[in-house]
Amino acid sequence: MMMLEGEALAISFGGVRAVAGVSLAVAPGELVGLIGPNGAGKTTLLRLLTGVLTPDTGRVRFEGRDVTRMPIHRRAQLGFALTHQIVRPFRDMTLLENVMVAAALEVTVHPWRALATVDARAARERSMALLERLGIADAADKSARSVPLGYLKRMQVARALALRPRLLMLDEPLAGLNYTEAARFADLIVELNEGGITIVLVEHNLGEVTRISQRLVVLHNGEVLAKGAPGPVMQRGDVREAYLGTSADAEAAHA
Amino acid sequence: MYLLELLLVGLVWGCTYAMMALGLTLVYGLLRILHVAQATVFTLGAYVGLLVANHTGSLALAFPAAALSAAALGPLIYRLVYQPMLDKPPYVALVASIGLLIAMEDGFRLLFGPYGLSFTRNTWFTTTYSWAGLSLNVVQISMVIAAVGLLSAFAWFATRTRAGVAWRATVSDPAMAESFGVGVSGVRYQSFFIASALAGVAGVLVGLLNNLVEPGMGAMIGYKGLAIIVLGGLGNVPGTLVASLLLGVIESFGTVYLDKLLDRDAIAFLVLIVILMIRPQGLLGKAH
Amino acid sequence: MDYYLSVATFAALNAILALGLNLISGFCGQVSLGHAAFYGLGAYAAALCAVAGAPIWLSIPVGMLVAGVFGVITGFAALRVREDFLAIVTMGVGFLFLGVVRKQQWLGAEMGIARIPSPLDKWGYALLSIGAAIALLLLSLHIRRSWMGRAFGAVAQDEDAARSVGIDVAGYKITAFLLGTAAAGLAGGIYAHMTQLIVPDAFNFVQSVTILAMVVVGGIGSSWGVVAGAVLLTLMPEMFRFINDYKLLVYGGLLLVVMRFSPGGLAGLVFRLTGRRLA
Repeated sequence: MMMLEGEALAISFGGVRAVAGVSLAVAPGELVGLIGPNGAGKTTLLRLLTGVLTPDTGRVRFEGRDVTRMPIHRRAQLGFALTHQIVRPFRDMTLLENVMVAAALEVTVHPWRALATVDARAARERSMALLERLGIADAADKSARSVPLGYLKRMQVARALALRPRLLMLDEPLAGLNYTEAARFADLIVELNEGGITIVLVEHNLGEVTRISQRLVVLHNGEVLAKGAPGPVMQRGDVREAYLGTSADAEAAHA
Repeated sequence: MYLLELLLVGLVWGCTYAMMALGLTLVYGLLRILHVAQATVFTLGAYVGLLVANHTGSLALAFPAAALSAAALGPLIYRLVYQPMLDKPPYVALVASIGLLIAMEDGFRLLFGPYGLSFTRNTWFTTTYSWAGLSLNVVQISMVIAAVGLLSAFAWFATRTRAGVAWRATVSDPAMAESFGVGVSGVRYQSFFIASALAGVAGVLVGLLNNLVEPGMGAMIGYKGLAIIVLGGLGNVPGTLVASLLLGVIESFGTVYLDKLLDRDAIAFLVLIVILMIRPQGLLGKAH
Repeated sequence: MDYYLSVATFAALNAILALGLNLISGFCGQVSLGHAAFYGLGAYAAALCAVAGAPIWLSIPVGMLVAGVFGVITGFAALRVREDFLAIVTMGVGFLFLGVVRKQQWLGAEMGIARIPSPLDKWGYALLSIGAAIALLLLSLHIRRSWMGRAFGAVAQDEDAARSVGIDVAGYKITAFLLGTAAAGLAGGIYAHMTQLIVPDAFNFVQSVTILAMVVVGGIGSSWGVVAGAVLLTLMPEMFRFINDYKLLVYGGLLLVVMRFSPGGLAGLVFRLTGRRLA
């Protein structure tokens, strides 16, 4: 059974087809990169898959189950986690508390159970372990307002991991990080994948995404242009043209 | 004929709402602040207009005086109250604004007495014109003329003048406008100036319409103004104008046909809640 | 003595109202400008029950239930609109309640409901309302420490992030509305029995703003602060004649000044002076 399937997904904004009938399938254990030039529709596609947007037509299946219209929090409860492109910490909480909220999923899943539960030790221990694993335990008790972006990005992943997901969707995880930070973060993503979590990411940093992905899906004008192993895909003429289109024309004009 | 008269009266009220709500929607579009204290500006305009008219006997002096005093108060509120709160959560400015409005209701009571004042030297405005069985008095007609005139002047300013274009650019993208050398701060003061002047004129007109200026006269119009700009799709000028007229007409018919069920003030909010349940983004607002 | 008892009772009722609003606005971040409507719903429902012959131990819970049911409906409405709209929608709920009650003959219209049975004496109402206020304070403090409090905090700080960690944002918002409005209904029920006469204007927009002022002056989100705010704003008009005559000026002015200079209210001041956060 596939971990995640998108079937003929399409959505339009004000008459413009942002995603025009895209199908894709992700097998358990895969690390898939979703790439494409600006405006190709990759972030929109990710949002259709994660449930931030509901498609006009088409379906999304998670482990064979139709989740097209399932709200995000229900998906999270099932093991389908996501991180946001712009980091979204709970600003008045510490990094540790941020992760704890996710780690207590079994309790917070129902308001009345949450009301009856005060004990936070288990969530605290597990969250601390996650912060250590992501190398940000030193800032556990710092307010989310006061730490640099790199810490927040890692905290966001720790928070997603606290849900014990089987599928993790990352929206531009490397954006805003410098060269070394991005490389280290990419290694971390590979490590998580090797630990058994299926990962789908949208990323602009082509160098890193081709290095770590097992498979790429290239979008162009809201449709799948190419898919396959990173090396061959990036060699394809149509993919290079989609990326370099305008600048290649400009070079030709120069010559 | 009766129905037509209800429609006309509704449109007259709609014009009043439009003059109030346009300012509210401008301020919201620019600063994301629900400026309910504009009702204070409205009431100040009414008092200044009334005092000038009663002392000089000239309405021609009363209107500019009301507009100017209102236009002075609005930017002052921005400078002293809102500006220091711009980086706070949105409820902070709203709560402060409600506080100012409520406090000033007693403030006006202390300054001008609790019972309200009437226009003593200009009674000609109760003159009524009848035409084909419809009758409107001078103030009702002036209300419509003033609203159409001032709103057209505003539309002309916003679309045809350099200052207006710069102003609209700032509303839609402050950072971009700043990089083109448009002073964001100046635009904010301009918006409060325009919004307040309109509210001041509306204040005098409503004072004339009821021949009464009292401390609490602005509150309900202020609250309904908020309902109107939400209905119109916050920050959306054409939506706001449509919602103003629509609400005026619905109220006019509602006070006759819904009288057994609910009072006039509740109609606006019933309409608001019903429409928001159907279209959460407002009448002409864009879907999120 | 009677005078002090009635002041204490009103302080306790105001504390219940303010703690209830604090659950909705302080804990869960949903600004409400119509809290007095739920106070009124509780009062009218309890009054109707009592006039029909129901005992007080039944009429007051019915008041809570009616207020809570309408609170849940308002909560569902709140889900449909975005943050900026919510304050206006709740304000609208307040005006709608008032506008409808004023026109209903079976609710006494403008004259309200009179001769409501009053089975307790002054001591009885004082103890009942103070006991209820303490119970609600303890519940608030518990919620703050429990996972419900953390989940409310997550919803208040970032709804999208809360969803992505599996929190049912809608469910928590509706729970907050249910608890907060049922508390207002409780205060309304006690009030109706105690005063034996209720009129629509006791539950108007100014009353909503007064409750909000108590929350804001005390420090939005802080249970102890909110109780302090409620007691302070109840006592002030009793102690100073001027304040009683110009309540709007004082309450409105307080809202303005607190928002301008100390948006954290009294609790915020305590934190600034001592470095301790009031629960």
